[in-house]
Amino acid sequence: MLKTKRICSLLLILVTALTLILAGCSSPPTSGQGSGSGTGTTATPTVAADSGKTKSEEPAVKLTWYLVGNRQEPDTPKVLEEVNKYLKDKLNVTLDLYVFGWGDEYDQKVNTALAAGEPLDIVFTANWAANYNVNAASGYFTELNGYLAKYPKIKEILGEDFLNGSAINGKNYALPTNKEKVHNWGWLLKKDLVEKYKMDTSNIKTIEAIEPLLKIIKENEPEITPLCIATMDAPFQLLDWDRISDDDVPGALYPDNRDYTIINHFLAPESIEHYKLMRDWMNKGYIHPDAATMQNQVELMKSGKYFAASQSLKPGKDDEMTASTGIEWVQVDVTRPVMSNRETTGALLAIPAASKNPEKAFLFIEMLYTDKYLKNLLNYGIENVHYKKLSDNVIELIDPANSGYNPGHGWKFGDQFKDYLMSNEDPQKWDKFLAYNDEGLVLNSLGFVFDKTNVETQVSSCKNVVQAYYKQLFTGSVEIEPTVEQFAKELKAAGVDELIAEMQRQYDEWRKSK
Amino acid sequence: MGSKVNTKKKDAISIFKRKSIGNRISPINNILINLFFILCSIVCIAPILLIIAISFTDEKELLVNGYSFFPQKYSLKAYDYVITAGDTIWRAYGVSILVTLLGTVLSLMVICLYAYPLSRQSFKYKNFFSFFAYFTMIFGGGLVPWYMVYTQLIPIKNTIWVMIIPYLMNAWYMMIMRTFFKTTIHESIIESAKIDGAGEFRTFFVIVLPLCRAGLATIGLFCTLGYWNDWWLPLMFVTEYKLYNIQYLMYQTLNSIQYLVSGSAQFSESSKILAELPSESARMAIAVLSIGPIIFAYPFFQKYFVKGLTIGAVKG
Repeated sequence: MLKTKRICSLLLILVTALTLILAGCSSPPTSGQGSGSGTGTTATPTVAADSGKTKSEEPAVKLTWYLVGNRQEPDTPKVLEEVNKYLKDKLNVTLDLYVFGWGDEYDQKVNTALAAGEPLDIVFTANWAANYNVNAASGYFTELNGYLAKYPKIKEILGEDFLNGSAINGKNYALPTNKEKVHNWGWLLKKDLVEKYKMDTSNIKTIEAIEPLLKIIKENEPEITPLCIATMDAPFQLLDWDRISDDDVPGALYPDNRDYTIINHFLAPESIEHYKLMRDWMNKGYIHPDAATMQNQVELMKSGKYFAASQSLKPGKDDEMTASTGIEWVQVDVTRPVMSNRETTGALLAIPAASKNPEKAFLFIEMLYTDKYLKNLLNYGIENVHYKKLSDNVIELIDPANSGYNPGHGWKFGDQFKDYLMSNEDPQKWDKFLAYNDEGLVLNSLGFVFDKTNVETQVSSCKNVVQAYYKQLFTGSVEIEPTVEQFAKELKAAGVDELIAEMQRQYDEWRKSK
Repeated sequence: MGSKVNTKKKDAISIFKRKSIGNRISPINNILINLFFILCSIVCIAPILLIIAISFTDEKELLVNGYSFFPQKYSLKAYDYVITAGDTIWRAYGVSILVTLLGTVLSLMVICLYAYPLSRQSFKYKNFFSFFAYFTMIFGGGLVPWYMVYTQLIPIKNTIWVMIIPYLMNAWYMMIMRTFFKTTIHESIIESAKIDGAGEFRTFFVIVLPLCRAGLATIGLFCTLGYWNDWWLPLMFVTEYKLYNIQYLMYQTLNSIQYLVSGSAQFSESSKILAELPSESARMAIAVLSIGPIIFAYPFFQKYFVKGLTIGAVKG
């Protein structure tokens, strides 16, 4: 009996031990960061840009980079190998790049890692991903002013204005991508129909101006719905309110810098006029009767059954959408380009405070702005494997449908104007971008960040009310007057007045301190 | 011992027979009850059938006509896309299966080894250890400390183990198992084993466990489902693409699309990205593939399952 007991306990111990050993074993080859970088790589915290002298003796510093995207491309290891070969001589660093999905997945991964103090070196952040303002305010990001002064190249490329747009209380915590710095709104129209009816789009400068075109489609094309609306992707966006907070939170300024008064833009006279126009269009059959329940504008556009869709534009947007939806579009710019917080904090790279090599990380980020080869390597993969060069600056993807590396990273980091152009893109694309940037009006609210903490309840209850009403109003699915009345009543009950007052107070304070 | 069980069984059957004659349900009730459960089954099965139908529908048709149980145009393109999309999905499949098998076995072992002593009257510290487990059901350490345990204290981040170990012990399953041991295994059985010369381990593995197959199967099924359906652990701990499991791949795609259509993505590229993500039918094809293997687990466990569910009811 004693013997069996002993054998059994021995077995148990063995199993437990084996579990632990296996756990230990399988860790090193896969450990990209976190645990891994805690041990070996940090042995030499190289604090130097003087990569010239001693680089060959020092082990390379590993930089871990979290980026948002569709997925980790299958050929990422191959591309990173090239990147690391290149970086070895330049900075003596090796790069570890991780791409996580949009929305929850990315936020969850980054926010936990930041909170747990994991030694990440570079993270992508924005007003819509891994909340830049909150994380910067919580002290998770390194302040970069010192580095910016020491290595001025990025500042020269971005320009003071744009860089300051993402600063919080005068301190830069992240570096924005150099890309389009303004946005405007307009329509995408189905090209074949525009050509078929010889439509003149040059005079469309207001929302109403598109009505004659919708009418032509309605009368002649029974198969086609003139206007494509789904959720927030509605012509309402063409009013281009300079929103203080999220899409579905009341509170905005007029987008023409006319004053400094924040209003509830969902109930502004212009908006109510717009709802009535939509109601009219709905009654005339320009809008799909089920529009209020549609979910995904792009999917609808892909079906080829819609003529016009409201979109956020930039030069070459029509080419981009033609390539990705498989249907040809022409773009019609309606609103004036403006530079708002949406752009200045739309795509940023930050260096977490827990990084062991912030200076190296900064220098690497600087290379993304200055080094054309590196930028394109990360963006398009390896030449002749993932893309072919057609001319000096124009490329073509090899087998785009099954490509092992086609992440579409261009706008997420560095200087987008250094990216190669695709063969189906306008060769003048970047020049047009630059001109477009200069055209933009700098909004009065640029750099202002609304802090929700004092009015958390009001924000969430107002959101709920807006969520309940906006679809019907944006699509004209209901009678406007009684609905707006009800909407206003519920917003009031939800505390919209306190919310706007708080926004105004913070905004005034911020203006004074500026 | 055998004959004792047999007579008990006979008793039970005769009682059942007698009762069922007296309580036979009327034909109308019978039909109504049947109808009710048929409806319930349809409500459960219809969405799955719809998903399968969508996955076989032509993409264009889906955009134009919407979902239908009987699409006018069938297409295998979605599966073609999924299967040719590199080894990603097969690898994820492999990870899921490995984690589920390994996880279930280890988890059952850990749970039983904890539950069994607590079911024994003679175990001196059973109150303390019961409370110890019970405590974890009410109070958690919080997300960040929990995260740090598996990244720093036990550095298993980015290994297969990180998808297994955090779910190994489950206090609730442990309590079910303890109750099961208590009610199925009479103290006299253990005593007789002891008299016959079996040690504690032998008693446990040779006598107790085989008698508790129903309980093991129930908890086993729970564990299997838990491991198979989990995407939370990869979300927290796995950054290495090769270790993604099938549920996580699905979560990633669906979550991305949901986020991008919600309109909260404030960047001009969102519509372009959205257009390039997998189509509706491809998403459904992944969903169909992900329910594949686990459906085979049910018949395997079923014969024990009903019995297992009655755990806790007082037995003669």
